[in-house]
Amino acid sequence: MTGFVTDSKTQSVLQFPAEDAQGGAVLTPGRLAWRRFRRHRMAVAGTLIMAALLLYVIGGSFVWSESYANRTETGNRLAAPTLEHPFGTDAVGRDVLARTVYGGQISLLIGVSAVLVSLTFGVLVGALSGYYGGIIDSVLMRFTEAMFSIPSLFLLIVMSKFFGGRVPSFDVFGRTLSGSVIVIVGVIGLTSWMYLARLVRANFLSLKQRDFVLAAECLGVRNRDVIVRHILPNSLAPIIVAATLGVAGAILSEAYVSFLGLGVQPPTASWGNMLENAYNYLESAPWLWFFPGLFTVLTVLSINFIGDGLRDALDPRTLR
Amino acid sequence: MYTEHRPPRIRALVFALVLALLVTACAPAAPQGAAPEAAAPEASASSVATISFTQEPDSLNPLYTTMWFSGILTDIYLVGLWNFNDAVEPTLQLARELPSAENGGISEDGRVITVHLREDAAWSDGEPVTAADFIFTYEMIMDDRNMVLTRAPYDPYVESIVADGDYTLVITFKEPYAPWVSSIFNYVLPKHILAPVMEAEGTIDNAEWNRNPTVGVGPYVFTEWESGSHILFSRNENHWQQANIDRIFVRMTPDDAAQVAAIKAGDSDIGVYLSFADVPGLQELGTVSIIPTPSGFMEGFFFNVGENGHPALKDVKVRQALAYAFNRDQINQDLLLGLTGTPASPWDLSPFASPDVQPWPYDPEMAVQLLDEAGWVVGADGIREKDGVKLNLRYATNMRDVRLDTQVVAQDMFREVGIGVELINHPSDVFFAAYSAGGPIASGEYDIASWSSQPNAYPDPDTARWTCREIPSAENPVGDNWSYYCNPQLDELFDLQARTVDLDERIAIYGQIKQMMLDEMIWLGVWQDNDMYSVSSRLEGVRISGVDPFWNIADWMIK
Amino acid sequence: MTQYIVRRSLQAIPLLFIISVILFLLMSNMGDPLATLGGRQPPRGADRQRLERQMGLDQPIYLQYVYWLVGNDWRKVDTNGDGEPDTNGTRRGILRGDWGTSLVTRRPVLEMIWERLPNTLLLMGTVEVLVILIALGIGIYSALRQYSAADNVMTAFAFIGYSMPIFWAALMLMYIFAVNFKRWGLPYFPTVGMYDPAVGKTASQVIWHMVLPVISLSITYVAVYSRHIRASMLEVINQDYIRTARSKGLSNRSILWGHALKNASLSLVTLIGLDLPLLLAGAVVTERIFAWPGMGRLFLDHVERVDVPVLMGILMLVSVAVVVFQLLTDIVYTWLDPRIRYH
Repeated sequence: MTGFVTDSKTQSVLQFPAEDAQGGAVLTPGRLAWRRFRRHRMAVAGTLIMAALLLYVIGGSFVWSESYANRTETGNRLAAPTLEHPFGTDAVGRDVLARTVYGGQISLLIGVSAVLVSLTFGVLVGALSGYYGGIIDSVLMRFTEAMFSIPSLFLLIVMSKFFGGRVPSFDVFGRTLSGSVIVIVGVIGLTSWMYLARLVRANFLSLKQRDFVLAAECLGVRNRDVIVRHILPNSLAPIIVAATLGVAGAILSEAYVSFLGLGVQPPTASWGNMLENAYNYLESAPWLWFFPGLFTVLTVLSINFIGDGLRDALDPRTLR
Repeated sequence: MYTEHRPPRIRALVFALVLALLVTACAPAAPQGAAPEAAAPEASASSVATISFTQEPDSLNPLYTTMWFSGILTDIYLVGLWNFNDAVEPTLQLARELPSAENGGISEDGRVITVHLREDAAWSDGEPVTAADFIFTYEMIMDDRNMVLTRAPYDPYVESIVADGDYTLVITFKEPYAPWVSSIFNYVLPKHILAPVMEAEGTIDNAEWNRNPTVGVGPYVFTEWESGSHILFSRNENHWQQANIDRIFVRMTPDDAAQVAAIKAGDSDIGVYLSFADVPGLQELGTVSIIPTPSGFMEGFFFNVGENGHPALKDVKVRQALAYAFNRDQINQDLLLGLTGTPASPWDLSPFASPDVQPWPYDPEMAVQLLDEAGWVVGADGIREKDGVKLNLRYATNMRDVRLDTQVVAQDMFREVGIGVELINHPSDVFFAAYSAGGPIASGEYDIASWSSQPNAYPDPDTARWTCREIPSAENPVGDNWSYYCNPQLDELFDLQARTVDLDERIAIYGQIKQMMLDEMIWLGVWQDNDMYSVSSRLEGVRISGVDPFWNIADWMIK
Repeated sequence: MTQYIVRRSLQAIPLLFIISVILFLLMSNMGDPLATLGGRQPPRGADRQRLERQMGLDQPIYLQYVYWLVGNDWRKVDTNGDGEPDTNGTRRGILRGDWGTSLVTRRPVLEMIWERLPNTLLLMGTVEVLVILIALGIGIYSALRQYSAADNVMTAFAFIGYSMPIFWAALMLMYIFAVNFKRWGLPYFPTVGMYDPAVGKTASQVIWHMVLPVISLSITYVAVYSRHIRASMLEVINQDYIRTARSKGLSNRSILWGHALKNASLSLVTLIGLDLPLLLAGAVVTERIFAWPGMGRLFLDHVERVDVPVLMGILMLVSVAVVVFQLLTDIVYTWLDPRIRYH
């Protein structure tokens, strides 16, 4: 989960030419980054919380089976937390604890997959457009603008309705998931890449007139290398900020889509649809929203703190 | 080298931005601030009852909407010949008496209905309401230039409607038509307002009156409609009965949880179409009473016995096993909080329900036995199979919360007897889409479908839903027999009841229909889908009817 | 520059065309407008068939699109159902100023949008101003005192606000400040709507009813904005020229206003330029919960009914606004950062 952000980003920094590493021979940029990251206390806290959440949703599935999480007991519905059901039971008597475990897997899966989709699109479109300019820029930006001109929640609703019910259920990691999971990942990914593209392009526009880029170009460095080795690392900060907010945003988007009745379909749980189901019991059964809500907030928070820490850590210009 | 020192610009930019936003923000506020004097002159002095709606009416001209939320409003500003009270009996409005064989209102062959109108009825602008208004209404419904939503029952059942003098209507049907009481002239249009529009524009589709029916006939008269916010009605001084409360404020509260919050905060006097789950929380308050109202809607399982359905469902034993395996009393007790019961037929809780037709009991052992008899044996994974086909059924429904909850409980129950169930959910606009629009249910892309159905002209029981001629196909793309069930014997009974005007005879025919449907198990009742209303203890005299909820709004009082 | 503006405006034409085609195709296939007609079960078959013809829904999608775009008054349509086209159509198409008629209310689309626009602008405009002011404060302060206790606390609060799904936060606020405050005898806010029917639509009523929705919306947006401002401020502050300015002895204040904020505002301008036109679209979830009669509600109510003419109207209006604002954003870019040039 955090893995993908940390790894891919540190990697590209590691490839970053050592010429402006200020730390001398001992400190590689990677180590420098790690040192800076460690100093960001909230980022470290975020990493720890995230690790704990991952342990919970993965470890939990060894303790409670999925069929237990889906088992109904209407005679014991809306029961407050007890020893048997530490997080209480929901409107059809299912164990909320077990459902937060399996729901968490789905929510995190949706968050990461959707951002992977949007990251791929956003960086590609933004980089090509900002660097090459001209006709490529025009075409790509018209396309971006076309997507952007449609408020994302509207597009999300329209696309969810369009694709909804067209994907059959499928198996992954031994779990049978409702096809709506795929629909939601695709739809969230395809409606959230435009901010990234715009931000990347704006940075490229600004950076490509900088001396070090002009120098690289004069030296005859290939376009691809100029983009990947010179400009991209220097635009990482906004990409990371946007991508981390993106994972959090995707998890929240899933909740919104659920709220509008177009989310992950039963019996598959997600934190989003658990929150939605709790919505009508806000006052009468607070345990229904408290746990999925707490986990959602913790996840979004820790992902953001991690992203924040990374931003400071990976920015070669930050001196700490 | 490029850092020019230009602070004024950035400051100007921020300033301009903020200013622009403030202007955007405040501009619309100004006219609104000025509006109230014009809109609500005697605002503070009057008594208001607030009704909250979760959906906004499409139109206030009943010609252009069949929406439930529009239909329940007409008793306020546009009454018809009669409406139905909380005992589901006709209560006279514009008619002077209910036509019957005894008073000569129904001809001997049952084809001609004669209605005498009350002579003291007037439109809210003082014009008398006469038979000409009714004839005009009929003409407007049948005119091709009007995009009318439904022509039932005039097309195809009515032969002619003529006036005999100013206050008598003679309605002739092509053949005896039993459902006339609940379907003719539930409303009437003001000819003196709309005829000039028809003349000028060739249609009344775009008439101003459709949205602002300032001239009506009813205890209240329409005052204003602010889209997305509210519709306001004020007492009609020209009505034969003066209403007690000065004004009725219908507020749109699209979110059901917010609607409940508004009721709890006392911001809404009448809550409409509440969800069952909200009932306990409202009852705790002590400031509102909950009125469960039978409305003819019955939630039930439709089994697809057609080509696209699971082959097992063609076997009546499998269908009966599904009925035995599904503990519907438990659903009613637990999920619906005991506010409902298990219906034996789609006509439960009506005069056409009979005590000798009882729902199938819950008996999983019988289910197992029937499935074994039918040749479906338990496979290695616990799911039954026959000739290599697994007994996995697609169970589809729409997005209503209690349906989704029922789905997962039913899934567990069916699993107990070795039936696998895959859950499918569609939003209503997909779920109810017709065969011609590729609707998944209409096209038979399901095995079990759960929805709530009501006879077309409730409280009349008439329906054609299970007849052979309604099976959808390329030739009949709008057919509504989505079970694909065909039984000529049943068709005959359905045709016979529609022509039988005598009530007792008709009830007897329904006894046969229900028994046949129960034995054949083509519809499995899950719960009586009563409508839930909340009424604030601030109000007195509110008697909600399942057909015309606000039929006695003129009698309502504020304590 | 003028040349650039003209060129961009011309480019907007194919852009809007593409958007309209994509949206029309998506939306025409996402459900059946005649499925229930707002009722609780499907209409009668005979009525349905007639309505399909009268509303033009029996035509192939491409033709429906052409009618939406340029109208059908040049072509005979079948009005009486005998299968023979007999009378000229009456629609003129959006290119000739006819936005069409709602399938649901039968009212002109433009009129329906026009009623909702002021309500949405009032709500969203207030939110935007409030959010920018608060976010500027938090963002700049956090950047200047990076990692201080205050920075951490503000960051934490901004994120907690952002992490709460707005529907949940909104209903929570409603329960606390409207339902329970009233129960406890404290001064309370109203639950839903724009004003109290017994009082009427006065400015103070509208403001009073706006408080909770504005807070709900601001909670989410402050985090997004303040994060971006903080990030770009930090980036600028750590650049050489700021250090140079500092070492030249310029005061913190003039560095902040003269250098840092100006350069950091690029990212803020991007954000605002993107967000302003979207304000027209309103807030789907918040407007629904607080029963605020804005554009988001209009969209949501009509998307459930597949009312394509209304949905197209809303989305095209927003699209045009986006095109205009992007142009403005680009112009502001060149003004803020002379390094950026458009050719």
